[in-house]
Amino acid sequence: MSGAAGFFEDLFRGLLQGTPPGAVYALIALGFVLTYKTSGVFNLAFGAQAYISAAMYFKAHTLWGWPKWAALVVSAFVLAPLIGLVLERLIFRHLRTASAVSKLVVALGLSVALPELFNQAARFTAVAGRQITGIMPDGSSVFYDPFGVYRFNRDELAMMAVALAATLLLAALFRFTMIGLAMRAVVESPRMTELSGINADRTSAFAWALSSTFAGLAGVLIAPRFNSLISTDFFTLVVIAVAAAAVGKLVSLPRALLGGLGLGWFIAVFNTFLPRWSGDHTWLRPFQENLTPSLPFVVLFAILVLWRAIGREREASDPLSGVDPPPPALAALERHPKLTLFTRLFGVGFVAVVGSVVWFRAGVLWMHLVTTAVIMAVIYLSVTVITGMAGQISLCQGTFAAIGGFTIFQMADRFNMSVLAAALLGAGVAAAVGALLSLPVLRLGGVWLAIATLAFAFFFDAVMVKFSWVGGGTTALLTGTRVPRPLVGPIDFASDRAFLVLAVVVLVVVSVVVIQLREGTVGRTLTALRGSEVAAASIGISAARARIVAFAVSAAIAGLGGALLSMHQQNVNYSTNFGPVNALFWLVIVVALGARTVEGAIQAGAAFALFEPLILKGDLLAWILRGDDHLPGLFPIPGSWRLVLFGMMAIQFARHPEGLVEHGKRRSAARINRWLEAREGAAS
Amino acid sequence: MTALLAASGVSVAFSGIRALNDVSLQVEAGERVGLIGPNGAGKTTLFNCLLGILQPDSGRVMLNGADVGGWPVHRRARAGMGRTFQRVELFSDTTVREHLLIPERIRNGSGALWKDLIGRGRPRPEEIAACDAVLELLGIDGLADQPVESLSLGQSRLVEVGRALMTGPQVLLLDEPSSGLDRDETQALAGTLRAVQESRGYAVLLVEHDVSLVADFTERAYVLDSGSLIAEGPTAEVLADPAVRRAYLGSFEVS
Repeated sequence: MSGAAGFFEDLFRGLLQGTPPGAVYALIALGFVLTYKTSGVFNLAFGAQAYISAAMYFKAHTLWGWPKWAALVVSAFVLAPLIGLVLERLIFRHLRTASAVSKLVVALGLSVALPELFNQAARFTAVAGRQITGIMPDGSSVFYDPFGVYRFNRDELAMMAVALAATLLLAALFRFTMIGLAMRAVVESPRMTELSGINADRTSAFAWALSSTFAGLAGVLIAPRFNSLISTDFFTLVVIAVAAAAVGKLVSLPRALLGGLGLGWFIAVFNTFLPRWSGDHTWLRPFQENLTPSLPFVVLFAILVLWRAIGREREASDPLSGVDPPPPALAALERHPKLTLFTRLFGVGFVAVVGSVVWFRAGVLWMHLVTTAVIMAVIYLSVTVITGMAGQISLCQGTFAAIGGFTIFQMADRFNMSVLAAALLGAGVAAAVGALLSLPVLRLGGVWLAIATLAFAFFFDAVMVKFSWVGGGTTALLTGTRVPRPLVGPIDFASDRAFLVLAVVVLVVVSVVVIQLREGTVGRTLTALRGSEVAAASIGISAARARIVAFAVSAAIAGLGGALLSMHQQNVNYSTNFGPVNALFWLVIVVALGARTVEGAIQAGAAFALFEPLILKGDLLAWILRGDDHLPGLFPIPGSWRLVLFGMMAIQFARHPEGLVEHGKRRSAARINRWLEAREGAAS
Repeated sequence: MTALLAASGVSVAFSGIRALNDVSLQVEAGERVGLIGPNGAGKTTLFNCLLGILQPDSGRVMLNGADVGGWPVHRRARAGMGRTFQRVELFSDTTVREHLLIPERIRNGSGALWKDLIGRGRPRPEEIAACDAVLELLGIDGLADQPVESLSLGQSRLVEVGRALMTGPQVLLLDEPSSGLDRDETQALAGTLRAVQESRGYAVLLVEHDVSLVADFTERAYVLDSGSLIAEGPTAEVLADPAVRRAYLGSFEVS
């Protein structure tokens, strides 16, 4: 066989092999675009919806022994549309006028909360290391070879058939039915549609049900390709969907379809032709081994960065929203001086009491938890800078923190460097990476920036961590990435108490830095940019420069916090601490509690570390009731409810974008103010 | 002597449709110039070309004799081009004074990351004094501590003018300042604008729909119609030009 013929055969095989997954990607991309077009929601919870259907199918067919068709009907055609309807009715219908970024945060919260909610409600536990069955009888063992180059199994044929059927159905729906026409109208303007007598609510509910069905189908179809059934696998599906949908700038259904297929083909063909490095090039092996799983992220990042038209795309918004009165201003309330004095005194008192309880009474476990809370607060201050001050959503703060942790590990392990110096170096390296990353993504706004940083986080996770000079290589991942505690002169921070003091000192220093920046030139420049980018440019502010600074500072803070956390746990524990999904969690918890203030970050740190043991395990109640014996049988509540609560918090955030704590504070401050003024009025 | 701000032979096409066709315009130092034309004449397009928001397909934009064609918006702003917006663009979450402090710091260029870190980034007394002087000049010193969200449209326009003044502009580009204001408010605004311009001496390029404001305020005017200049000269003469009146289809009367 000649070389050229072999090449074309390989190429053809790659294309055939890529078609079944490509068809599923197309299915997801279609559903994704459908929700985006009809509700402006960048639905990152799409993967969670796919997961639920896949898990339901597995439970019904494999665990309960239902026939395949019944399991499919229940999981993809009953449960999936139902979830779509519930999400639309309970959450997204009320967020129509919310900003695209708030909707994104809500979807992020749901992407974490929904799988947990399902697992709790259906008593389902993640399945690993076991073949998941597809929807066809003998789906993975009966093959057909129409062209003599690649053998499709029955499940793969089903993938293509279902995707084709769904696409045709969708096209027919748009072309020939009233509801299809209404859906197209709602995309243009919900309010205009309502004025012309179409019920926008019903139409958008239908769109959600439909797109959720697509997600469910895709989930059931794609599950056999994983050797496990874990919700995070499905999260990467969303990234693929976003990459495919980005090809159509998120609004074109036919191009999303092509994008999905194209991605399937690209990955398969790339795999076929990827050179196998060996010999002198073994250092490239991690690339070779991990590039394939990370390809969607690379493609997504490349599309976002290289395709200039994307940067100019504004987020989907209602053309009529301009006539709406702007949302009520978040202008600071005129506070009564007595109230300010009281809250300050209360704050100082609270910290003193809690501090002394921890110092004198806490055992090893509690000392550990409080230290974690303090360190997480440091990391969360990085979100305060990038999101609260600069108004940018970054989903790779975990990566910056990991860079801090890995630097300290590498420096201490290889060069025996002092850990404190290594921590500062880690912050510097993270700042450099942050500044470099910000260069290509600078012109992306809002949701696109969030997605690009997410793609970067996944790329780091899939490829960079595997390098021996970053994550220590495969052997080190087995033995752990050990990090020693610092030793400064006579003070040995190996003692938990001394280390807590160190963490508190770092938190105070970083808090002061953040406050100084906020009050200073950097903060005010960023305020201007957040308020109006065109107006900021008109007074001579360079958006690019200000954003690079914001990214670098935020990354430095995250890197310092990550280094501190690694010292605290005496190990980097990359996947537990800094995986890409963690950063999503961080973002939501911080913005939900208050991204504008230092208190918000500290409260988020406390909530992250202490909520589960204190509230869910019932330790606080037990302490109040003086003993575990009196605890109601309800306790301990399973820890994963925390994630469900967290999802609810994200939903609340969309209604109170200033943050829940800030919202509560303002409301009670207004009440007390009125009371104080009334009393003074009565006295005079 | 070269003009302060000059556009020469500027052409712009949007997907084949000529929005601007070989337009030239000059603004001399300290001069008040109007740019008028019916809807869709290309006023905003020309404005955006001058400011650097839009790159013209051909033609040059000069500021103080320097070709600023490739400069980004913020660099032109630093070189002396101030502007206001038709649809008010204020920085939310700030008070009126804070609003003006931002451009003051950018102008004097004394901000730096390290200064923020050692606590020297806060507003200095002389900066606050400079802002208060401008607020007083505009007659809105009483609003200094108000959050910008609480202002009326007319007040917001003045804050925008103040913000532009803080950059120390040589030429101020006003984008439809009368839009959304009623007749009395427009007249009040015109009075303030003239008084401030006379005391500060910068040049003004006024893009305006409301012909009476242009007649009142400017010395010279350019008229655009369908992307081409159809008249230029002293404002009174231009407004009396039959071609200009035809362009407006008699939609105004010159008294």
